Amino acid sequence: MSIQNQGPTRRTLLGAAAAGAALGTLPGLIRPAAAAGEFKIGLFAALSGPASLFGPTQKACAELATEEINKSGGILGRQIKLIPTDAGGPPAESTKSAIRLMLEENVDMFVGSHDSATREALVATIKGKVPYIYTPVYEGSECAFNTYVIADTPEQQIRPSVAFMMKDRGAKSVYLIGDDYVWPRKCNEQAKKYIAENGGSVVAEEYVPFGAPNKFEEIVTRIKSAKPDMVLITLVGADNVNFNRTFAGFGLDKDIARLSLLLEENTLLGIGPDSSSNLFSSMSYFANAPGEANKKFKAAYFAKFGDKAPQLGLIGADCYGGIYCAQALATKAGGTDAKKCMAASEGLTFPTAAGQVTMRGRHVDKTMFLATCKGTEFDIIKTFDDVKSGDECKA
Amino acid sequence: MDPLIVTQAINVLYGVSTLAVLALGLAVIFGLLGVLNIAHGEFIMIGAYCAYVAQAGGWPYLAALPLTLVVCGILGAAVEWIMIRPLYRRPFDTLVATWGLSLLLRKIAEAMFGLGFRSVSIPLPGTVKLLGTEYPIYRLLLIAISLAVVTALVIWYGRSRTGSRIRAMVSNPELAQAQGISVRRLAAGTFVVGTCLAGLGGVMVAPLVPVQPFMGLDYVLRTFFVLIVGGLGSVSGLLSGAVAIGGVDSVISAASNAANGYFAVLGLAILFLWLRPRGIVARG
Repeated sequence: MSIQNQGPTRRTLLGAAAAGAALGTLPGLIRPAAAAGEFKIGLFAALSGPASLFGPTQKACAELATEEINKSGGILGRQIKLIPTDAGGPPAESTKSAIRLMLEENVDMFVGSHDSATREALVATIKGKVPYIYTPVYEGSECAFNTYVIADTPEQQIRPSVAFMMKDRGAKSVYLIGDDYVWPRKCNEQAKKYIAENGGSVVAEEYVPFGAPNKFEEIVTRIKSAKPDMVLITLVGADNVNFNRTFAGFGLDKDIARLSLLLEENTLLGIGPDSSSNLFSSMSYFANAPGEANKKFKAAYFAKFGDKAPQLGLIGADCYGGIYCAQALATKAGGTDAKKCMAASEGLTFPTAAGQVTMRGRHVDKTMFLATCKGTEFDIIKTFDDVKSGDECKA
Repeated sequence: MDPLIVTQAINVLYGVSTLAVLALGLAVIFGLLGVLNIAHGEFIMIGAYCAYVAQAGGWPYLAALPLTLVVCGILGAAVEWIMIRPLYRRPFDTLVATWGLSLLLRKIAEAMFGLGFRSVSIPLPGTVKLLGTEYPIYRLLLIAISLAVVTALVIWYGRSRTGSRIRAMVSNPELAQAQGISVRRLAAGTFVVGTCLAGLGGVMVAPLVPVQPFMGLDYVLRTFFVLIVGGLGSVSGLLSGAVAIGGVDSVISAASNAANGYFAVLGLAILFLWLRPRGIVARG
């Protein structure tokens, strides 16, 4: 670098200021033009990184909903343009994308299916300027302004399933194991309450570093000597596969039940038939869930994507409901004005892959399923109808 | 003795011996050739997929071994010829090149098998009673095989003609060349041995872990730590590194929790890089 270039000159400073001013006014100039055209939805999905095996399903399900809505006239007469964006990397990368989508693309809404660390970062970045719909499973209590949650809450996912395992299966003592981040820790806080309600006890609570190359021999040995009736698992992805394979490898599956809170079709394929006995999953959607809505959804899904269709599961199918939620919200609010959307969300009904749902307190009451694993298939053994979210946000 | 302590002790032995065998390929390539092979984990991944393919094809599990040797051998030879040969003695460049290679291999695996988890069923399921505690048979077998593989390689490297040629090449390539040793061919062969060993490690661990394109990332860090702590270019270095990293990880994971175990491994690696960068056993 030459000596002249060591500091900013008056001219470069003025130039930068002018550019900054121009940038500041640009979105305002573009918005009216965009408003007449497409309805842009930024879809946050795992397009890269360790969770990216969900990406193809997330995209496919969102595309299916988009196509269906566009065929029937779009949102407020505007065709939806889906902008799939990566949320599989670190949260800071997703927030950069959010800013770009807001400033350059002028997106009308966000739909997100990703982990809770990313959600917290996105909520802090979007600041309610654009309606943001969060879709998978989560730890509850997200009441940020202009943020709408259709994800399963602990009240829906954990409370009925834990009560069933304790009353029906006689599981009295529980060992908690999870990845070390916000979702498992907050879920376990709730789970401890539900376990106490049912007169059970927590033997131990343990976390492994999230994203580290974890191995589970030592932990499984510890569980074996603690002799709990049940293990409540909040591990995700590869850790979940690894733990369950080690658990069964040590022969613990015969005597100790396992209830996993993020166990869908992909993860179960990894766990495999030799390690999946006495393993349970509780979620609002399974690919083989009963009901007309799912039958119709699956027929449309496989008609569109054929034999090469990505594996269906909750993470992915949630995006289908997310896009429909966006449509219902914008239609009822007559646009995307934050205050109008907030008001419109109360009592809002819209279809999801599992059926029609109603939004209350920016959360959704829904039917929950408890499934046991038979090989690499889920066998739904219990259906809990109309489970309240327990997380209703005040206005 | 308390079965908990016995089981945890076997876990430590298991952790150390599998880590040693997983690091073996890297010890050959990085330790002897000085190539910082970031794609080491991807060769382990390829070995694991070979096990999956063999099992899905209905072949006996042992059929995965020749399959892996062929796949990793051909791939290793091609990579050495195209990418590594111009880069010997430029460690940083090999690091960047093999990093690119690791991305490519992961994408190829993704294109062939998709991103989904594959599970390889355990060829010898069940547990066996040992010292008053039940322990999985396959893991015990892995301990035995790991020790056998490492011992065999030690003997071969120390006693065979090829072993002494490699040692000659490592300590003074010009002099070795002058003695009539074809350094270029010997280096290529050594590289291929390294990739094949990585593949074999993959076949061994495949039934225990999720098989997916990203799985190699789990191994590359730990195996590099083994060599950093143990020191390059000697068998005793490899073993002491595996004992230090695998042992510290397993013992602390058993005594307190996995987070502290991981923390201790990172701390140990940093301490060694800082205070003793040549490792426990510096090459003499």
